[in-house]
Amino acid sequence: MESRVSEPKKNGHNGHNGNGHENGNGHSLGAEGIALKGPSIAETFAGKHLLVTGVTGFLGKVWLAMVLDHLPEIGRATVVIRPKKGEDADARFQWIVERSPAFRPLRAKLGAKAFRKLIREKIRVLEAKLVEPLCGLSEAEADAILTDVDAVVHFAGLTDFEPDPQMAIDANIHGAQHAADLAARSRGKRYIHVSTTFVAGRRSTTIEESIEVGVSPNGTTFDPEEELRTLEEGIAAQETKSQRIDYAMDRAEALGWPNIYTYSKALSEHLIETREDVTTTTFRPAIVECARNYPFEGWNEGINTSGPLVWLLSTTFQRFPARETNNFDIVPVDTVARSMVLVVADALRDRAEAIYQCGSSDVNPFTFRRAVELTGIGIRRMYARRGDDFEKKVLSKLDPICAEPDPNEVFGHRRMRLVARATRKFLRKFKLQENVSPKLYDKIDGPKLDEKLRKFSMDCRTTDRKLGQVDDMLRVYLPFVNEIAYVFRTGHLVAATERLSDEERELFGFDVADVCWRDYWVKIQVPGLDKWSLPLLRNEKVPDDPPFEETEELDATAENESAPLRATA
Amino acid sequence: MTDTETGRSAAFFRVEGTLLERGPLAAAAWLASNAQGVGERIARLGNVALAAPLSFAGELRTGATSTRVTWMGLRGMSEDRLVLLAEEYVEKYVTGEVLEIGAELLKKARKQGRRIVLVSDNIDLIVGPLAEELEADDLICNRLEIRSEKATGRLEDPVIGGNVSGQWARAFAQENGIDLGASWAYGASGADSLLLSAIGQPCAVNPDRQLRRLARDHEWPVVEK
Repeated sequence: MESRVSEPKKNGHNGHNGNGHENGNGHSLGAEGIALKGPSIAETFAGKHLLVTGVTGFLGKVWLAMVLDHLPEIGRATVVIRPKKGEDADARFQWIVERSPAFRPLRAKLGAKAFRKLIREKIRVLEAKLVEPLCGLSEAEADAILTDVDAVVHFAGLTDFEPDPQMAIDANIHGAQHAADLAARSRGKRYIHVSTTFVAGRRSTTIEESIEVGVSPNGTTFDPEEELRTLEEGIAAQETKSQRIDYAMDRAEALGWPNIYTYSKALSEHLIETREDVTTTTFRPAIVECARNYPFEGWNEGINTSGPLVWLLSTTFQRFPARETNNFDIVPVDTVARSMVLVVADALRDRAEAIYQCGSSDVNPFTFRRAVELTGIGIRRMYARRGDDFEKKVLSKLDPICAEPDPNEVFGHRRMRLVARATRKFLRKFKLQENVSPKLYDKIDGPKLDEKLRKFSMDCRTTDRKLGQVDDMLRVYLPFVNEIAYVFRTGHLVAATERLSDEERELFGFDVADVCWRDYWVKIQVPGLDKWSLPLLRNEKVPDDPPFEETEELDATAENESAPLRATA
Repeated sequence: MTDTETGRSAAFFRVEGTLLERGPLAAAAWLASNAQGVGERIARLGNVALAAPLSFAGELRTGATSTRVTWMGLRGMSEDRLVLLAEEYVEKYVTGEVLEIGAELLKKARKQGRRIVLVSDNIDLIVGPLAEELEADDLICNRLEIRSEKATGRLEDPVIGGNVSGQWARAFAQENGIDLGASWAYGASGADSLLLSAIGQPCAVNPDRQLRRLARDHEWPVVEK
């Protein structure tokens, strides 16, 4: 079994810089005052061809927009996108660059004509399915595309905590293997793999930037390939989704992973690390949340980790079962995107570490005690801005607190659910007319009361369902908010930041230490979630950006007639 | 005699009464009433309420004791909560709530080239933004002591009480090259009499009964609106 820890790679040099001093040309000096000569980030990206997966996701979008915005020297990016719901890859990408808020700064900076020109020159869309071998391409097609690719950057993945296990395997394990296969056929043979810090599993400790291949979080030795085979066979033998989840969860727990997401991402890391046909660099972000600055303050997309938690605490649910001293390892998406630029640059220079972790607990910890209290204040301000009377006068006055989970809590959600269910059961059978005299029935306006009871019974059913969702949510989150206490080391990103010039540090430095959690959480994160994520939990839509002005659009269309926007393989 | 020979003249404004109607007791009570949890709110409010009788109790009213007791009720509140609640308090009760008469006097003093010094027994989280808004040169106020991200319930030394002594004014003037004889001081309550007495040009603004009597006795100008 191979054991790999994050020692400097043989084909590069570590370049770890202890003091951060700089010489005259803006490059950092090493501990002995020797200049760590090397190209800047811009020089490193200049002329390079990257193949990127997962640009339709939250992080992938921000990263691509940031690269195009700050590193226009890049040669080209081929973005791998699968068709979806009758929309081809090209149309999906077109929509993203033209309408996603992630590209707002770049669109505003360049205007329609120059923006489209940049996209046309720098981006190629490759319609492909990562779940298929070679992403569904023929060998000839793949070789033609990959001939000048310097690195494959793999963002794509399934981030649901409890998905159908086969979907998680396809997206997080086979998808990664297929992306690495492409890297192996490329010119650069470099593969940058986006994972998660939570592959650490059930270990309450400091998590180093390393991996011991074939050893699980609870110390069990296992063969990753054999584990994957057994898992897939076991899943195939189950009949229902629920059985497949139970089977995968049992295997995950037996090895020390608390859910299917972390289990599948971890297996993927173990499998990728055993490959010898590519140079792999693994990037593990923690919980990716609202942007601090880029594309703009507060932007978020979809329902991420903290969205449901903030929603929950904005209701009457106030006793959050988190351990006060545990870290809530949040990182703003733009900090993650910056870090990913550093990692790709190190990989392109062939001096990357094996693993880079991107979290806050090491350099600027944010505890659940603070997070829960600040969430309460953020919600209070949210309701002050846009709440109805009940929200302003009641909900905004309730402050959530951290509390140890207690299934027997009198006003706990489980007890309340039982009450709601019992009430519903009683009311379904209860017939007012049969239980009171006809005279009384008429006197109390029986039919009207019957209608009210029927409505109340429906409310009980809704409450039962909602509390069921809360119960499910807490079950899934409990390991991370209560049971496991992590600190994720981030020394490699800190070192990479120290090597940057002042100008590039401003743009790409790992800046999580600069985050003021009080301001970020209350003034950026909660309002950001309120605008971009919580509507989705209420089944409402979040608007895309408006299209370019018509005149600009006409200009660009005229130019596009002579040159196709981009080629689709 | 010019400023360069004897130091620059200043205008000392006692914040409570001349610029703001609400004092530290109101601020502390509001912060306490927004603590985390209903039980905690009641307990803290009770604690702050202890300061209320003290603020009417003769000597205790003017010294630092009443001020210290006022803020004791916030012991254990997190720095996060205090900072954010103070922002809300400022938005609600400070910004745009500056007394017209005080604002006019301050504007006039600035026009005359005087150094603007605000003196308050409130905490920096509340009166700091006011000083910024009014572009004051100096702010003399209290600070909550914070340890391990929580308020200890104590104030950092030196504690500014209900009154500010003439000795303090003289020390401040010496340290900052201020000519007290050419300076003005504005106060609104009897507790401000020591400060007003130490300054060359005292002025009572909307004075309470005690200060009104003193102003009459010493022939200090009285400004009312």
